[in-house]
Amino acid sequence: MEIDWITVSAQIVNFLILVWLLKRFLYQPVIRAMDRREQRIAGRLNEAQAREQQAAENARRYQEKRDELERAREQILATAGAEAEQQKKRMLEVARVETAETRANWQRQANQEKEEFLGNLRHRAAEAIQAISRKALSELADSDLDRQVVHRFIERLKSLDSDTRELLADTTEPVRIASAFELDPTVRGRLTRAIHEHLADGVAVEYNQSPELLCGIELTRGGRRLSWNLADYMEGLAAAVEDAFGSTQAAAAE
Amino acid sequence: MTISPDGIVFWQLGGFSLNATIVFTWLVMALLTLISWLVTRRLSTTTAMSRWQNLLEVLVSGIRDQIREVSRQEPGRFLPFVGTLFLFIAMANLLNVVPGYMAPTGSLSTTTALAICVFVAVPLYGVADEGPLNYLQHYIKPTWFMLPFNVIGEISRTIALAVRLYGNIMSGTVIVAILLSLTPYFFPVVMQMLGLLTGIIQAYIFAILAMVYIASATSTHRHTEQSSNAQEPTPD
Repeated sequence: MEIDWITVSAQIVNFLILVWLLKRFLYQPVIRAMDRREQRIAGRLNEAQAREQQAAENARRYQEKRDELERAREQILATAGAEAEQQKKRMLEVARVETAETRANWQRQANQEKEEFLGNLRHRAAEAIQAISRKALSELADSDLDRQVVHRFIERLKSLDSDTRELLADTTEPVRIASAFELDPTVRGRLTRAIHEHLADGVAVEYNQSPELLCGIELTRGGRRLSWNLADYMEGLAAAVEDAFGSTQAAAAE
Repeated sequence: MTISPDGIVFWQLGGFSLNATIVFTWLVMALLTLISWLVTRRLSTTTAMSRWQNLLEVLVSGIRDQIREVSRQEPGRFLPFVGTLFLFIAMANLLNVVPGYMAPTGSLSTTTALAICVFVAVPLYGVADEGPLNYLQHYIKPTWFMLPFNVIGEISRTIALAVRLYGNIMSGTVIVAILLSLTPYFFPVVMQMLGLLTGIIQAYIFAILAMVYIASATSTHRHTEQSSNAQEPTPD
């Protein structure tokens, strides 16, 4: 157990050299590497945190945008629904109006056709009634009826008002008597006498036959006319029938 | 029986003798430097790294943590000195398992050299930390009367540092040598294994004590201690 002071000093030098060597080759590089790693990890953590924040921010923005889109979509849907409803109402209104117009047109047309039909019917009915009456009367007409007709005519001549009488008398033309049937001479004589007596004395009387008169007698002189015949009644009958039809149709329309 | 490697002289020139202590010290130095250089020339700064780098990083950060714990200061300026003490002693002791190798720490010259380094480093750190006057005032505290005791304490703890390491390592080597002659084969192996443990513990003790001495010489340490004491709750 002795101390070799030369060895001691050599060992001190050796130790100091070792301190320098290890500082140069061990501590500094290792500590530097660890610091760099720590910095890198810290940097990465910061980066990751920043990215996470960015991601959270993005997610928030995305969510907001999505909410906004959702709201916009709902609004658009609501607007579209309201517009569709209005459109539907408008179209229904238009369709209703068109339908009403069409119906009114149809109604008008139908009424028109009905009126035409009824008019035709009326006309034909009147004509048919007139024809039947004419036929019946012409079949009934005989000398007795003629006499009766002449009698009625004479009665009418008698009861003429003065104005008519003067108009018929104020001419030089002969009196023309038209009848639906052939008047026998006695009847002609009576009629001629009655004309001389009540209208114009001594006037010439011409007789002719006119089947259109149906059943009756007509006196014409100088453009004036005096008659009693069934054709006139028939005209009245046709008018009465048409009137009756018209009033029935008006009642139905109401 | 050769107790100290100082006695094995390989080469002599005048008063200087190249003994086994110096040669094995160079061997340890070369090994430490070579390993450090081999590993640190390709250091990875990513999370993927080699096993050797991982080992070195664990070692360095472990030493830093110990220094920080003992001194309650940043370990930066103490690391080369204290760390090298630990690594050198540990490596020198661990290589004891190699046949033919004799630990340089088993030589009182080596342990004295290390203790002298600590003895010088303590005031150096202290003066660097708080100036020469402030540092020297520690020796006359609390009174002038304490100056000789402080000086004696400083010297005695340095001697204790040297002798403790020398005694432990030398005794281990000697015991193994004696046991080998008495009970060969098995028992010396167990003692060798125990010697590995003792070697590591002694390296740790030496480095920690050096750090404690240095830390006690720096004012930052004292201030930290005072503030931590002031914060402690008074017992009821």
